[in-house]
Amino acid sequence: AAEVEWKMTAAIGEGSFLYQNFMERFAKNVGMITQDRVEIQPFGAGVLAPAFKAFEAVQDGIVEAGHSTPSYLVNQDPTNAIFASFPGGMSPEATMHWVYEGGGEKMLQDFRRADMGLHSLVVGIGTSEIMAHSNVKIQTIEDLKGVKYRTSGAFAAVLQEEFGGVPTVVPGNEIYTLLQRKGVDAIEWSTPGANISEGFHEVAPYMIMPGVHQPSFLWEVFVKQETWDALPGDLQNLITAAAKLSTYESFTRFGDSDIKAMAQFRDTKVEVVLMDRDASEGIREAGRNWARAKAASLAEGGNTRMQEVLDSYLAYQADWAANSSYLVRDSAE
Amino acid sequence: MTFFRNSAEMLSAFLGVIGRLTIFCLIAAMLYEVVARYAFGAPTLWAFDISYMLNGSIFLLGAAYSLREDAHVRIDFLSQKFPLRVQQLLNGLIYLLVMAPIFGAFTWVAGSKAYKAFASGEVEAVSPWAPLVWPFYAVIAIGLLAFALQFVLEAIKYLSGEKCPGGTDAELQDLES
Amino acid sequence: MTPLLMFAALFVLVFAGIPVAFSLIIIAVGFGYTVFGDLIFLQLYGPLLHTASNFVLAAIPLFIFMGAVLERSGIAKRLFFALQLWLGGAPGGLALSTIAMCAIFAAASGVVGAVEIVVGLMAIPAMMKAKYKNDLIAGTICAGGSLGTIIPPSVIVVVYASIAQLSIGQLFAASILPGLLMVLFFVGYILFRSVRNPADAPPLPPEERSMPLPEKLKITFTALVPPLALIGMVLGSLLMGAASATEAAAVGAAGTLILTMLFRELNLKLLMDSLGVTLRITAMIMLIVAGGTMFTSIFAVTGGGNLVRDTVETIGYGNAGIITFFLLVVFFAGFVLDWVSIVLIFIPIFAPIVRSAGIDPIWFAMMVLVVIQTSYLTPPMAPSIFYLRSIAPRSMTYGQMYRGVLPFVGAQMLVLLVIILFPAIATWLPSILVGL
Ligand code: NA
Ligand code: NA
Repeated sequence: AAEVEWKMTAAIGEGSFLYQNFMERFAKNVGMITQDRVEIQPFGAGVLAPAFKAFEAVQDGIVEAGHSTPSYLVNQDPTNAIFASFPGGMSPEATMHWVYEGGGEKMLQDFRRADMGLHSLVVGIGTSEIMAHSNVKIQTIEDLKGVKYRTSGAFAAVLQEEFGGVPTVVPGNEIYTLLQRKGVDAIEWSTPGANISEGFHEVAPYMIMPGVHQPSFLWEVFVKQETWDALPGDLQNLITAAAKLSTYESFTRFGDSDIKAMAQFRDTKVEVVLMDRDASEGIREAGRNWARAKAASLAEGGNTRMQEVLDSYLAYQADWAANSSYLVRDSAE
Repeated sequence: MTFFRNSAEMLSAFLGVIGRLTIFCLIAAMLYEVVARYAFGAPTLWAFDISYMLNGSIFLLGAAYSLREDAHVRIDFLSQKFPLRVQQLLNGLIYLLVMAPIFGAFTWVAGSKAYKAFASGEVEAVSPWAPLVWPFYAVIAIGLLAFALQFVLEAIKYLSGEKCPGGTDAELQDLES
Repeated sequence: MTPLLMFAALFVLVFAGIPVAFSLIIIAVGFGYTVFGDLIFLQLYGPLLHTASNFVLAAIPLFIFMGAVLERSGIAKRLFFALQLWLGGAPGGLALSTIAMCAIFAAASGVVGAVEIVVGLMAIPAMMKAKYKNDLIAGTICAGGSLGTIIPPSVIVVVYASIAQLSIGQLFAASILPGLLMVLFFVGYILFRSVRNPADAPPLPPEERSMPLPEKLKITFTALVPPLALIGMVLGSLLMGAASATEAAAVGAAGTLILTMLFRELNLKLLMDSLGVTLRITAMIMLIVAGGTMFTSIFAVTGGGNLVRDTVETIGYGNAGIITFFLLVVFFAGFVLDWVSIVLIFIPIFAPIVRSAGIDPIWFAMMVLVVIQTSYLTPPMAPSIFYLRSIAPRSMTYGQMYRGVLPFVGAQMLVLLVIILFPAIATWLPSILVGL
């Protein structure tokens, strides 16, 4: 038997693209890199613990490890929104650089240890989502007014407060039907590679880009700090390496499946709509202002962590924006 | 003993009344959402959370009541052949020694989760409305407590021989007459 | 080994007459203790909370309330009286109209229990009064109820699609023809049996159904308007995109109250009685779902998933072998598990294998869904029969129910056979309705 055996509960259903790409990949990489000294047995959401209770299940000691995203903790503490990516956040590749080279993962680990007693490892950074599958054409800021939009989190707040949109909650498995029957005007779900199998493009004529509402996303694996501290140092290093490998491998897998999916979308009758640049930049700036306001109000209450994380994040983003023009882009437009 | 019986029966009856009212609230909340979204293009942020919370409340508020009414289906074509006393002892002992402790333990867990949610001001994880969750968790804990007590009560009824498993009339029983 | 022991232990409790939901919970706690120790209650509280917080399940009390009010008001009675006027003389007329009612309600609702209880509360008294054989009544109600998930909208299709990463719309489209075929086969069996043994489904005496045509039309009209209006409201709000399935159920519940009020049949007793029934049956169904989810959780953690995976790897008879094995697993699992557990346990294991074997996932999904249909009816764990038990008088025995559903299970098997032989019955509609 393995030296270390962990049951791991996920915040996403077994069989989903995300589950295979992040969670199963990480479990497999850990086995490979530690030469089976560590065995991780993954379970889908709802099997051992409900989707949104993965963090709590690990804290309670029900399972040794959990897999979830900071997105599910934003309501508890908006600091998580910076790690999860938010409207106005960095591009996927810049996010990757911030996490591993700009101190992002370190800040996430400090945050988890201090607030939740957990040791966290980033195992997946995602590509940009599709801004909307929509029954109405959304190109300008004005087009957002009165749009019944299935979304959540920071974008819901920004949409409602800044642009007069109407965020609405639709259970995951009713999205397709309500979009088809125009019960909602627009929905956002996930990346092109993940959306194509949901079939939203079959029922809504427009596909809106770019996905500034969720430019990237991040998933982590976590164990109790004492579980982690009890590991021999060499295993800690190997598991950390397996996590990083999983992030890199899954990132290119996401990008690859997105590009293939986009090519498939182009063959259907769905119309790909590119928002005006000042519209999408307007949404991004509103998103950053949302984050600034949250951070300021937390800091007023004596909690400066969000402010510190946001400062680091925005500085890295500004640097990237100012200095990345040397990079060659393979864009058709 | 009589005091325990009366209080437990009163608790489950009281929760039953609240449960009935909750069904009404569920209908009203969902209707409001349909009208608000379809007729006025202004969906609420709360209808989704409210409706699952109401349904969960109906479930747990009705748990003790449904047990008192013996509404939980059993497959009794074999067990009906046991002597009546055996059926009563079997069900009574399982209710008293297994089910009541199990739901007692669930009550304890639910109670501490509700308390923790109250103390930390926990809100719904992904809802844009982000309601506090402790009231819902507290309803679950209260429902589970009544359920556990009702198991003890039903066990007493079986063991003392005043009730027999599967003896309560079903919905369309009046057709018999 | 442990996963199989769980089933054995479950059987012992269930057949000892311990309520199904309690048996599931006891087994989950007992076997879960070997894995989680004292943390077992903390762990199983997860599935309990998960069930209590499920938005989709909120349709259950709404549809049951609708059924209870319909049954207590004169609406159901008038409908069946009208149906008796027209169909009472035909062989198996009431059973046929029951199936028709089920099919129509199935088009308005996505949960088996709801359809079965709505229609069952109306149809059982009518058929008993007409001296139908109990086993035919039971079979008709249970089979009719099971249409709730094969005719869209359907909760199970939605869950299946999300786990197997299929388009919900395509899967809905795929289930239309098999659903209609199933209705057809049910009707065929009822006709066959009633013609052969008229005593099983006696025609109504002529004096109960003959009257002057204008009066007959008037009665029919008054009887048909309320249910049709309800179906219009539920289906209408769904089709116009005004409501999700759960919200449509609320529209139906409110509509039922309004209609009852319009017919001046609404009173406090009716209301309190209906709410009481709703509370009782909702708690019963929800506790079975919670117990099933707990059982599933422990089944998975004690190695149930790997057990299935390893077996697939060792059989290896090509695609036909894979499909046969999977369908058999679902069929036998259906004896003891409810659909929530089946989909939760097996589909995540099957879906990737089916995909990599190059089997059309929509076609496979339809086969699995039809086999799951049978699991509602196959003893001992037959949700359809449990729901029937919760509303039927005790003079209708389990023996009659089990006998009654068998021919209908046969009809479902025929549908499965047709899908196997002619995959197009599942794949053709999706290809033209939701083409790219
Ligand atoms: Na249906
Ligand atoms: Na079954």
